[in-house]
Amino acid sequence: MPRIGVFVCWCGSNIGGVIDCPKLAADAGELPGVVLSTEYKYMCSEPGQNSIIQAIRDHRLDRVVVASCSPRLHEETFRKTLARAGLNPYLFEMANIREHCTWVHNKEPEKAQVKSLALVSRAVAKANLLEPLFPSSIPMTKRCLVIGGGIAGIQAALDVADAGHEVILVEKEPTIGGNMVKLDKTFPTLDCSACISTPKMVSVSTHPNITLYTYSEVAGVDGYIGNFEVTIRRKASYVDHSECTGCGDCQTKCPTKVPSEFNLGLSTRKAIYIPFPQAVPNKPVIDAANCRYFTTGKCKVCQKICTTEAIDYEQQDTVITEKVGAIVVATGYQLFDWAAAYGEYGYGRYPDVVTGMHFERLVNAAGPTGGKIQRPSDQSEPKTVVFIKCVGSRDPAKGKEYCSRACCMYTAKHAHQVLEKIPGANVYIFYIDVRTPGKGYEEFYQRTISDGAVYVRGRVSKIYQMGDKLVVRGSDTLLGRPVEVEADMVVLASAMVSSSGIQDVARMVSVQVDKDGWLQEAHPKLRPVETHTGGVFVAGSCQGPKDIPDTVAQASAAAAKVCGLLSREELATDPMISTVNQAICTGCGLCVPACPYQAVELKTITERIPGHAPRERTVADVNSGLCQGCGACNVACRPGAMQVKGFTNDELVAEVDAICL
Amino acid sequence: MKTVVDNLRREAARLLAGDEVKMVIGYAAGTDAARTTPCFATTPEQAALLTWGPLCANNLVKYLLDYRFEDTRLAVVVKGCDSRAVNRLLQDLQFPRQRLVVLGVPCGGQLDRASILSEIPPGARLQDIEDTGEDLVLVTDKGRLSFPKDRFLMDKCYRCETNMPVVADFLAGEPVPSPAREGFEHTAEVDGMEALDIADKSSFWDNEFSRCLRCTACRNACPACSCKECVFEQAVPGWQQSGIIGSKVNSLPENAVFHLIRMFHVTGRCVDCGECERVCPVGIPLRLLYRKVLKDARILYGAGTPGMSTETVSPLSEFRPDDPEEFM
Repeated sequence: MPRIGVFVCWCGSNIGGVIDCPKLAADAGELPGVVLSTEYKYMCSEPGQNSIIQAIRDHRLDRVVVASCSPRLHEETFRKTLARAGLNPYLFEMANIREHCTWVHNKEPEKAQVKSLALVSRAVAKANLLEPLFPSSIPMTKRCLVIGGGIAGIQAALDVADAGHEVILVEKEPTIGGNMVKLDKTFPTLDCSACISTPKMVSVSTHPNITLYTYSEVAGVDGYIGNFEVTIRRKASYVDHSECTGCGDCQTKCPTKVPSEFNLGLSTRKAIYIPFPQAVPNKPVIDAANCRYFTTGKCKVCQKICTTEAIDYEQQDTVITEKVGAIVVATGYQLFDWAAAYGEYGYGRYPDVVTGMHFERLVNAAGPTGGKIQRPSDQSEPKTVVFIKCVGSRDPAKGKEYCSRACCMYTAKHAHQVLEKIPGANVYIFYIDVRTPGKGYEEFYQRTISDGAVYVRGRVSKIYQMGDKLVVRGSDTLLGRPVEVEADMVVLASAMVSSSGIQDVARMVSVQVDKDGWLQEAHPKLRPVETHTGGVFVAGSCQGPKDIPDTVAQASAAAAKVCGLLSREELATDPMISTVNQAICTGCGLCVPACPYQAVELKTITERIPGHAPRERTVADVNSGLCQGCGACNVACRPGAMQVKGFTNDELVAEVDAICL
Repeated sequence: MKTVVDNLRREAARLLAGDEVKMVIGYAAGTDAARTTPCFATTPEQAALLTWGPLCANNLVKYLLDYRFEDTRLAVVVKGCDSRAVNRLLQDLQFPRQRLVVLGVPCGGQLDRASILSEIPPGARLQDIEDTGEDLVLVTDKGRLSFPKDRFLMDKCYRCETNMPVVADFLAGEPVPSPAREGFEHTAEVDGMEALDIADKSSFWDNEFSRCLRCTACRNACPACSCKECVFEQAVPGWQQSGIIGSKVNSLPENAVFHLIRMFHVTGRCVDCGECERVCPVGIPLRLLYRKVLKDARILYGAGTPGMSTETVSPLSEFRPDDPEEFM
């Protein structure tokens, strides 16, 4: 017979101000299995916890029920209390009579009294069936994989590496740096983006704990927290980077010119190229799709010019595997394809309608124009520039429902830069709202207004070309009248969307993607860098739109979580995971596809039955390192062979019976 | 019909003689004129006992489960409706395809034993069965008994979805016309049940379930019920129960709970072969219950009758990361 102790918490007036806690404790004392039922003002406080420990000793309690707040808040607290009293911490059940009862029913205390007793009865019914659970341990590989070499990935990699752990940084482009290194100046302090990001890129390449794989992609992730096995495909660069000195002669002599991805097509690059002068690694790759040798079979100019004989046309993609204990996903964002969605802005037909990222390259001293703001069509200096915000953001009809967060500020910065660099320029900014929540952000916005930027509240309904001008037609919803501006250039603050490969990465690391395509964090407030898959963390804008300060902060947060994980020798696994009763498992395998964490697989067992020869049979098997205890396999299993420990069918049915019967 | 029987016997004898299979599961003449009995032929001589006709209602696929953990190769005779159960067992990994030879028979409809029994004189012995197109004629030593097909076939035959096997290694005869009739729309009877108001529906089923003997014949005949140990039989003795509250799972649930849980357990697995209803000794309209979930699965998930192919996944057995989760 279990000996259950019930401890009712007043939570000050949160619970005690609505229901009669002594009466609840007295009523709970009548429930089957309960040998002690008492109440206290704050059960979670030190005297409260000590009273539980004392009661366990005095009354020989072997199950404890605390009726208080949400288990999210204090389940862990009370489990530790039980452990201190020498009881298995899983012989504990919590009844949430605060969030589920007194907070929501504070106007009807009589009904709240009845409901709180029902909730306690449920917990007692389950407590009767609780069994001690024991965590097992899995070894920890003290290495970390970072996917994506933008500022988030760089920051996370550096922080983890500085803590003394090995880091593998994988970047699909030929250089790290991501979107940030393309930017000119960064709001609100206007420090040069390259000046603050390129030193970090160099730190990555020179850090003794970081292995950098650029021009590489993660092709597969196997294993589980502490023991991931990652397959990385290194694309052939056709340049032996161990021989190459990065002199750049090949790039100079290469006869093929193609639009530069780094400059968003505003300039050209060669078929053998280093994306930009400060690239890390500062070694070229050959773009085989455009290389004259690869397309026609003749040329080999780069090979002839190379003094170190680093060019190797025979190079193949290579696949390597790395073992890591933790993974940080930092795949970043790309810009919304506005041209496909916004016909009224010309579907991308007008060369002088550009995105904010194009503008960054145009205004960048290291950019194709040397920092001179020029129209892409005729290289003339625009006198009137229109900025349109929320292109694709906050527009569920054409784009995304969410706010892209950084656009208000970078548009203010762009406006400031136009007014600063072009004397007498006119700047119009069409906006829905101006959002400036950040340190120094509002001040920067006010400064742009005082610079002379004209903010017009309203959407732009049409842009069309008239002569060499772009006519921007919109409305001023504050004045309630239509507005028409003849502009030389239009800059669209297009929405941030997650990188195109995010679905593949998400599938490989078993992280959910939310409705907008961002990676799903484990909890929006309390577990912002964790995911529901153990050992996988998110950093930067792959989790949602972010500006640079937030991205760096989140990357360091993810790194802190990784360091916490890697500092352990082995990992205790949550014992509340699925378990298979192989005696009744039919081996139908329905649990295998039902598992979102690839934790269930089929295996063959040899069964001995008295009077029969041993026979082989297929049954399900749960990997305790991968299982997160979600219970999806449990509901898929019709014989009831799959059970989640701590949430067994018997326990759940007993709870339902206690509440409903 | 005679050529089908000849073909079947010849093929069965060949399989057994060549040791290609250890056993052929088929039908043999029954103890009275209105039925056949399952036959487990293990020698070429026994293959001569095999028969086929409109009195072969049993779904023999269920017997495969008795041999699922052995390593012998088996052959089984299937009609169109039974063949869906073969696909389902293959999908549920309950029988390996390489250990199975499927002998398909073309089915023109099965006589409803309950209806014809009253027309057959006691002690009559079956000599032959003739198919005139409109009627099925049982030739017995006590005379010729003619049964018009539009009145005496099993209800499921009038709603037949496929009278030719959807999976077969050997086909014992040419295709024959389907017994499906107009006016027996796939969901018509379910619509009628759904139209009842809640109280009437409840009393209708309470009344039906009140007759249930819990003999579990429905479960034992059901090819969808492939569990090694049924949830209803996982009773935990008192000394093993960790608590003092005996939960519903541990105790014998009420009849309604038994049937409703079974209904959900066969969703996506029930191939609508109608064996449950045929074997029920108290005549509970179990097919109606399972056809209701078939209809729901069809409407909610666009799911066809399970077992029509091995490619389709049962809606309640599928996990998709992009599931819209409209119900949440």
